[in-house]
Order: sequence, then C-alpha cells, then structure tokens
Amino acid sequence: MAGDEGTPQTPARRVTRSSSATPLKPSLVSPNLLSPPTHAPPLESLSTEPMSADDLLALLPSRKSQILEFLRVIGPLNSPMLPALLYGGPSTGKTITILHVFRFLRRRFVYASCRSCYSPRILFETVLNQLLCHRRTRENGYSSAKRCERASDFVNLLRDALIRPKTAPGDEKKTFCSKEGHGDGIGEMIYLVFDNVELIRSWDKGSEVLPLLFRMADVLKTPAVGLIYISRAMPDAYYSMTGSVEPISIYFPDYTVDDLHNIFMRNQVNQKLYSSFLSIVLKPYSRVTKRVDELATVFDPLFKKYCEPLADLSLVPDEAMKRKLFDHLQPHLTASLNEIFTVTPWSLVEVAKERTPKRGHVRKLCGKEVFSELDIHMSTSAKYLLISAFLASRNPATLDAALFDSTGGSNNRKRKRKSTQTSLDQQDDMAEEILMKGPGTFPLERLLAIFQCITSVMDCSVEEEQFEDGVLAEGSNVWLMSDALLQLSTLCNANFICKSGNFQLEGSTRYRSMIDEDMALKVARSINFPLSKYLYRR
Amino acid sequence: MSPSPISIPPSSPIADDTTDDNVLQPFFVLHKALPQKCQRKAAGSTRTRRKIDLPHSSPKSPEKSDAVASSVGPNDANHERLRLEAFNMTWSKIDTTIKEVLTRIHRNLFAEVHQWALESFLALKSGKPRHALEIQSPYPLLDNVICRQIPTAMILTKNAEFVDDMLTFQELGEHLKYKGCHIANLLSMDFCAKDGIAGCLRSLLRQLVVDAPDTADMSVLSSWYCEPENYDHPVIIVIDDMERCSGAILADFIRLLSEWVNKLPVIFIMGVATTDTAKKLLPSDALQHLQASKFTLGSPLERMNALVEAVLVKPSFGFNIGHNVAVFMRNYFLGHDGTVISFVRALKLACVKHFSMEPLSFLGIDVCDENEVFLHGKCDALPDTLLKYAFNLPSCKRGKDCKNSRDDLGEGLSDLRKLLKAWSSVILCLCEVGKNNKIQLLDIFCEATDPALSSLDPSNHKLERLFNGQNLAEGRLDFKGGLIGQLVHTVRELPLSSLIELLDLWSIHTEELYEVHGEVRELQSVVKSSNSGNNLKERQIDCHKMSMSLCAGRTSLSVNGKAAALLDNMVRKFLMPIECLCFHEIICFRNVDILQSALIGNPRRNIQVDLMKSTTYIKCSCCSSNENVLSPTMHDTSVMYNLAQEHGDLINLQDWYQSFKSTVLSTNKLKSPLQHSPMSKKVKSSPSESEASIQARFCRAVIELQIAGLIRMPSKRRPDFVQRVAFGL
Repeated sequence: MAGDEGTPQTPARRVTRSSSATPLKPSLVSPNLLSPPTHAPPLESLSTEPMSADDLLALLPSRKSQILEFLRVIGPLNSPMLPALLYGGPSTGKTITILHVFRFLRRRFVYASCRSCYSPRILFETVLNQLLCHRRTRENGYSSAKRCERASDFVNLLRDALIRPKTAPGDEKKTFCSKEGHGDGIGEMIYLVFDNVELIRSWDKGSEVLPLLFRMADVLKTPAVGLIYISRAMPDAYYSMTGSVEPISIYFPDYTVDDLHNIFMRNQVNQKLYSSFLSIVLKPYSRVTKRVDELATVFDPLFKKYCEPLADLSLVPDEAMKRKLFDHLQPHLTASLNEIFTVTPWSLVEVAKERTPKRGHVRKLCGKEVFSELDIHMSTSAKYLLISAFLASRNPATLDAALFDSTGGSNNRKRKRKSTQTSLDQQDDMAEEILMKGPGTFPLERLLAIFQCITSVMDCSVEEEQFEDGVLAEGSNVWLMSDALLQLSTLCNANFICKSGNFQLEGSTRYRSMIDEDMALKVARSINFPLSKYLYRR
Repeated sequence: MSPSPISIPPSSPIADDTTDDNVLQPFFVLHKALPQKCQRKAAGSTRTRRKIDLPHSSPKSPEKSDAVASSVGPNDANHERLRLEAFNMTWSKIDTTIKEVLTRIHRNLFAEVHQWALESFLALKSGKPRHALEIQSPYPLLDNVICRQIPTAMILTKNAEFVDDMLTFQELGEHLKYKGCHIANLLSMDFCAKDGIAGCLRSLLRQLVVDAPDTADMSVLSSWYCEPENYDHPVIIVIDDMERCSGAILADFIRLLSEWVNKLPVIFIMGVATTDTAKKLLPSDALQHLQASKFTLGSPLERMNALVEAVLVKPSFGFNIGHNVAVFMRNYFLGHDGTVISFVRALKLACVKHFSMEPLSFLGIDVCDENEVFLHGKCDALPDTLLKYAFNLPSCKRGKDCKNSRDDLGEGLSDLRKLLKAWSSVILCLCEVGKNNKIQLLDIFCEATDPALSSLDPSNHKLERLFNGQNLAEGRLDFKGGLIGQLVHTVRELPLSSLIELLDLWSIHTEELYEVHGEVRELQSVVKSSNSGNNLKERQIDCHKMSMSLCAGRTSLSVNGKAAALLDNMVRKFLMPIECLCFHEIICFRNVDILQSALIGNPRRNIQVDLMKSTTYIKCSCCSSNENVLSPTMHDTSVMYNLAQEHGDLINLQDWYQSFKSTVLSTNKLKSPLQHSPMSKKVKSSPSESEASIQARFCRAVIELQIAGLIRMPSKRRPDFVQRVAFGL
C-alpha cells in the first residue's frame, strides 16, 4: 500500500533509533497521552479510521483507568517500555482493550494467543511469521517462514527478525510490514503481545517457555521491543519461575453490575426496550456470574423470548407493556437460571416432535403406552447392566447381601424393621454421606453379581408371564449373559458408565454410573423392573 | 517355548486329516503326531465342585446337515456353482435394497442438516464478507460479539451403540460435501488425552488441506481458507461419537476454534446419545461457545421396520426366514446390541447357510421371477435325484397332490410365489394398522411366520379357514391374545379419519390381490359416503373415539366392523405362514441353531474346552494313551488348567506349583528311565529341567491363564493364592 515510502524514510528511522537507545526507562508521564497520531499508514485490519480518545473510552466502558495506565506504561512514540502484564479474570476485557489501544495508537504489534498456538513451536513460528511478514500460501506449502522448535533458536531468530528491517531497509519482500516501521507516527517499537499466557503452564515444556517469555526483555537486549503479557492468572504465578525483572502489572477487575449494564447497552437498537429487559434479568443473573460472555449467551435467547409478544421491536415500552413482557418472560427466567446448556430443536419437524408426546399422552390413555419413554435405544441386557451399575453406585456395598439375597430383596423391608433405632440412625448417616459423595465406584465383579441377581429374579417372573404367550419361553438369561462385557463397553462408550483406575490385567478397574435417577427410572420402567425396591433410601 | 523336548513338525498327512473337521490347531507343532485317530473322552471325575465336566462329544449340527445334503443330492460341482451364483445374486440384491432403505430413511434429515448448515453459515458471515487479510490476521477481530459461538448440530443417535451411526455420519458428510461444504470427519480417537489438542488439529488439517505441513497450526487453515476455491464455503467438522472423546481435549478444541470462528466459518456436527452428554462431558466455558441445535436420527426400531418390510416381507429375493429364525433375530436385535448392522450380519449368515445347505436353493431366485419360463426350464433340467429330494421335502410330503413330476415342482413353486405375494400384502396391511398402535412390524412379522398360527394340515386349511371366516361374519374372533388379533381389534376402534387413510393404504397394498382389492374399494366408497354425510359434524369434533361414536353413530361403527372383518378375512385366507407352504424349504431358512452358534460365539467356553482337552486337537502320540492322566508333554498352560480343576475358588500357588512340577518331572522319568535312577530324580532334577526353568514355565503358564481371563493374580490380602475367575462352561 505505502510500500514506496520505505526507502526515503530511513534517515528518520535512524534518528528515532538513536533516540530510543537511551537507557531503558519508561516514560511515566507523557505530555499528550490521549492525542491520536496525526497521520498513520494502514496497519492491517486494525486501521480503519482514526479514532479519538473518547471513542476509545466509549468502546470499553469502565476500563478507563486500565486504559490510561496501559497508555502510560506503553509511553509515547518510540519510547522503550518495561514489560507489562495485564491480568484479571476471564472475560474482563483484557485482550480487547489491548487491541483497541493499539488500534488507537496505530503502532506495530505482534499478537500470539497461547490458546491457538498450543505448542512452543507454533508459538515461536507465529511470532516470527508476523515479524517477518510471512504469509502461508499454497505456493510455499503453507509452511512458516522459519522452522523454529527450540527456545534458543527462537531467541536468535527473533533477534534477527527485529534487526533485519534496520539492516536491510530496502528489502522489498518485506514491504508489507516493514513499511509500517518507516511510516511516520508508527515508530519503530514493536510490541509483542502474548495472550493467555497462563495456558503455557500446562504445556509439556511450559516450565522452559514461560521463563523465556518473561525474560525476553533481558535476553533480547533490544529497547525497540515492548513485551505485553495477558493472563488470567495472578502475577504471582509467574514470578517464582522467572527470576527476571517484574513486569508492570495492570489488574482488570471483574465488572460491577453497573458496568455490565453499560456493556450490554452498548450496541442496542432499542435502548429503552433493552434497558427494561436488563432491569429484569441483570440482577438475578449477575448474582450467579459476572462474566460478560456467560451473561451474553444467556441473555440472547432470553431477549428473543422477551420480545416475542412485541410486533414492533422499535417501540418504546410503557409500564403496562413492561409488566406484560415481564409476565411473559417470568417462567423462562427460572428455567434458564438452572440451565447451563440448552439444545434447541432447529426445524419445525423437530419442534413438532417435541410437542407430540404430550398430545399423544392424552390421546393414548386407553393404550398401555409408557408415559415418559426412554428416548434412547438400548438392548435389554444393556438396560439391566445400566440398572445394576446405577444400583452399585447408589447403594453401599455392605447392603448388597441384604438387598440381593435369594428372595431377590422382597423381604428386605422386614429386615429393616427388625433393626434397632441406633443402627437405623447409623445407616441414615451412611446413606446421607453416600448421597453427598455422589455416585460411588464399584469393581466389575460387584456389577456382574448384581446384574446376575436382578436378571435371575426378573427371569423367574418374566418366564411365568410369558409362558402362555409362547414368546421365547427358553430362558432369556442365556441371552443376557452372553456378552455382558461387550454391553458394558457400549455403555462406557456412551458415557453412561465411566471407567477409572488402571487398565491392566489386574482387574482393579473401577466403574461409576453416570446416570441420574430419572434416567435410571425410565430405563427400569421400560423393562418393568422394580427399581425403587432395590434403592437404598433413608 | 515348548516344554516338550519333541518339537518336530508334524507329518503332512495328519495335517490334512485334521483340517477336515477342525481348523483350529494352535499347538499343533508342539507335539509328535499320532497316526491313529484318538477317541474323545470326558475329562475325569468330579472331585471338586469347580471341576468342569466336558460332554463326551460336542454336538455337530453342521455335520448332520451336511450329511443330509450329501446323502440326498449328487452334490456335483455344477449345482454347487449354481447355488453360489444364486447366493451372490440374492445377497447383492438384498444388500443394495438395504442400502437404499437406509439412505431413504435418512434423506430428510440430511436435507434438514444441510439447510441448517447454510443458515448458520450465513449467520456466521453476518452479511459482510471478510477480507483475506482479516481472516489471516493472528489477533481476534474487533467486532461487537461478546461471546463467539460455534453453530453445532447435536444429532441424537437414539442408540447407545454407535456402530450403525458411523456409516450414517459418513454418508451425511458425503452429502454435505456434495453440496459444497468442506467436510472433516474427526474420530473420537483424534480426541485422546495422549496426543492432546495437536492430534485433532492435525487430523482436521490433514483432511482439509491437501499438502498440509507437519505443524498443525490454525493459521495454516486460515490461509487455506483464503484460497479462492476454498473461500466462502462453510467448514463442517463432523464428530460422530462425541461421547467417546476426551472431554478436556474436546473442550480445548472448542475454545480454540471459538477464537477463529468469526474468521473461519466453522460448524460442528456431533453425534450424541442424549442431549445431556455435552453437559456431562464439557466444562461450562466450552459449552458456552456452542450454539446447539437438535436433530434426531431415526430410531433403530424404525430402521429395522423399514428393513424388514423391504427385505423380508416383500417376496422379491427368493430367500426368507422361518419363524424360529425370525424370533431369534428379533431377540438378537432387541436383547443384544440393537444395531442394524448386526441384524444385517445375521441375515447374511442365514443367507449363506441357507444357500450352502439347501441343495435346491438355487431355484430360489427364479421362484420370485414373474417369468415362469425360467423356473420351468430349471425344473426340467433337474436331475432325478434332486427331484426326488424335492418331493421328499417334509412340506411336500404333508401335501397330498403331487405326482412327483417336474411340472409339479414348477407349479408348486409358482404357487408358492403367489401365496407369498398375498402373504406379504396382508402383512403390509397389518403393518399399516400397527403404525396407529405403535406395534412394530418386526413383531408382526414374527407372529405371522409362526406355523402355530395355522396348526392345521395345509391340505384342508383352506376349508377350515373358510369356516372360521363364517364365524367371523357373526362377529366372533378366535385369535386370542396375539398381536394380529389385537390389530384387528384396533381397526374396530379407529376413528373415521384414520380409517379412511388406512383404507387408502390398503388399496395400494392389495393392488395385486384382486379378490381383496375389490372389497377394499367397496369399503372405501362406503366410508367416503358416510364420511361426507358426517363431514360437518366431524369437523367440529376432535377425532376422539368417544365423541366419534356418539356423533358418527352406527354408520362408522359398522364401517369399522366391516373393515375389521375384511382384515380378519384377509388374515385367515392369505396369512399362511411360510413354513406351511409346499416347497418352502427351497427359499426358507429355518435352522436357528446354526445361526446361533455362528453369531454368538462363546469364546470363554471354547478356551476352557480347548485347554481341557488339548489332546483331541493335537493328537500327539505321547498323551493319547490315557486322557485322564496329565502327560508331561502337554502344553504347560493346559497342564496348569487341568490341575487347577482340583482346586476351589482359590488356588494355593505353592500346591499348584508342586503338582505342576511333579507332572512335568514325571516326563523325565518316563522318557529316560534308564539314564537316571528313580531315587535321584526326586532329589535332584535333571540338568535339562532345572528348578529355575520349571518356575519360569510355571510363571508363564500362570500369565497365559491370566491373559485368557481364567484366573486373577494374587491380591495383597492373600499373597499366595490366585483366584479362579471362570467357573463352569
């Protein structure tokens, strides 16, 4: 775009370079902190049109102090800066603030998110690619500019890349970004922004990369580089391992309710309507979470629901209308407060499918239809296994003998009555403890034992019933037992049962049932199994 | 490896002998061959309760049937070839039908998903096309979206077992690819914790970018997307079994993609068993990046019904199954894994067995051919032995009117075809009724094939049925209990509107059944006239039964009654189970035992049996003399397992080892009685069999038993006991 500006500007660059060779010292006070650069060459996509400081602050509600602080740290044009660490909880506007500030300042920066760049190599190469203005294309086989796997290589290559525009200013291959360095107002500082730094800690070589990143300023010894780290973790998480100079940290606190209100009001078409909507939802939801992204995902469908009764979305609601809308929203409110994730049916057919069961239920009273059906197909033995697993997870193992004796648990109530009060209390405590612990784990043998018990009991009763029908009088037990392990793996695959422990031949793998009681009841109902009889309750 | 000093390869004639009746010879090379055949005997007495008593000889049903086949027909190569050809033709026809049916079932869903994908893509683009530079920029775009969400289609598979759906998702992918989307099929293996997120990204890149570099970097993908031919098409990522993915990796993947979704239009299609799956698997900060829509695949039962209708009910293949087999397959489907794939496999096995066992099965393909010339031609070409065999078929003996000529066979077969056609029409009519009542076609089919349905001699059943039909005209039903009776009853209670629909369907199904077709037409006109009379009232009322009978009054009741009578009549006249028809053996497979043993192998039982009587397979000279005595030349594991029979649930390792050692050492005593004095062998083992080597063999045998799943290693509590895991057969 402005590639031809490259060569003539070299002297100017030299001047700035010499000026920036002053000892590394952040200029804490800059005279015209918020005055936008007068003229700026295009800078990738961030350079749409010049913006004023007020625009910047308006874009990021309630981040004024952080912005000012960051501007102070970053200093005026071509002034070296100390490394900065921006930290704060998730979705507190760290990344977007940085990006907006750079858009406002129009300076060169290199951005690498450690989420997208999930390994050291990709991180290094991403940084180098941006510095060298390398673009992956089909012609170069989508390869990166430099192959760089080791940290030491990275330092060298990075140093080269930073110096290269200075040594070879006329390199036309690099027009795309080196021109920016020559453009007036851009300055020759290059800022390296590392986002999601906290993720590096969980990398394989995280303990090597993290100190490298934080010591980059010392290692490079180039004043023309500004280092900015963005992290969700506190600064303390990094100092212990670096031993380098502490970056200046800027904290992004969680938004307050008012901040949230401002943020959500930003781009609304019908301000009044949305404000009345927020007055309903913001309070209860902000008690649950103050994360903007979470709230946004919840509010979108709710607002659609809220507007459903309205024919015209641009009208300003009066009190009566607000009340009406509130009444409309009320039932959905509590439901969505309890829901993390909703899967909405998309097509009309699906919607119809959702609704039919209710109608069918009313109409099919005469038939022997099950009212709440299991909506997933499982083989009979899988169902028995699932129930066994559920029982094994729910009931304490010590009670198995009592529940699954030869009578199949039919006289277990008698036994309970015989027991003394104190033992009952003890059992109560135990049961409560079990409930608090969640589903318990169990070994395979216990699962199979319970499975065998309940299938044999069910078999007796089923065979009697089925005898007259003549439908497969021959024992279905054979059917069920033949591949219980196969069924178990199916259930594990479907996440109904989860496996834990080691997978060696020792057989010490333990299982845990993942289904809730609702589902277990449905399964039990579909095979006419008296689940409640076997469930140990207080 | 071998414990026995003799590891001479066996002589070839023995090998040939044994391959005939048994292909399995795992330890064949270890023993010296014995020319004489050894008798099979049970393994010892029942001293302990855990001891396995082997049956004297395993029942060999295939042999029996082979014997039948060979005794009956001259199994010359020609007819065998004919049967093979017939099988290939029949199965290829069945196979294509199955595929067509399955695609037809999913067609609607595929179209729906495609529509959804297009809409989501438009929403992602949100009107403004992105510049290539924007897409390739490494930092997030500054738009006003607070939380970027990836459109996700959650496709409910309605089946805990996912085998069936793998194919469906593949087809869905192909369908979408055909419509111009970029497709990447990611497997659950790509999301394993070992490889981390690199694994799935690499797989994603490899499928989309032709010459992908070895680093799986998202920027590669964005650059690839900027190529003109790739640009402006949605990138759809299909994960067919989300449940099996590692939750942490999948969550990482989603978070990563959410950073890119406004540059790269990524769309997920995930197969899940229940909608709760995602909630259980993923943390909430990954979930919030998914904008999920729900789709539902046809349930396995629906698919099964469609398959049964297309393959088993419609008589177009010259292959069918008898009642026992039908019931077996139904139970196999419902009781085992409930997958269409296993059903199809069972069907194929039945088909294979049928064509390999039934000498006349090659006539089957022509039975269903309308053109009778071929059939008669083939019948004429039959040799006398086969002809005799045909008329000796039990079904034919039952029938009276055969003069045992070739023409009769042809006639009989074409009659069979006609009867089958009528039969299938009636089944389809019943199925239409069943749809109202949620009764599965599979169940109807099973009941309709039951020979007990007409327990009468086929010779006079028509008369009997006619008589019953008269009973029916007076309103009596003498099917009790069964599904078909229930269905007839349903027709009586159908509301008028459903009845009209039903009759329309009946008239389609009975088109080739002239006698019934007329009656259906007649009834249709009656119903329509009565309906138009009651039209006004009808509109006001919901189709509820009570109000129906109040308002429509006698007419509809009588119409319902007529319809029910018609159905009953059809059932009685035409619903003859296939096993009651002449010559049904030619096209009908009934041997459920063979199918069962072929489908449900019992590996653990077989392992135990083989270990117990390894000599019957190995047929070595050294151990054949007395089977009850453990010979030292037997394979270690086999010796150990036999010894284990003397123990209960727990086996003391010391005792076990001692008995093993004594068994093994008795070899040397037998083998070389002259070299060592009997005294010395007790005190000192021979140099070739040192204590250490016996221990090593012992250990290896224990490990092998453990791997076979027969014993478990000592626990901490009982360090010198191993536990037996498998008891009985």
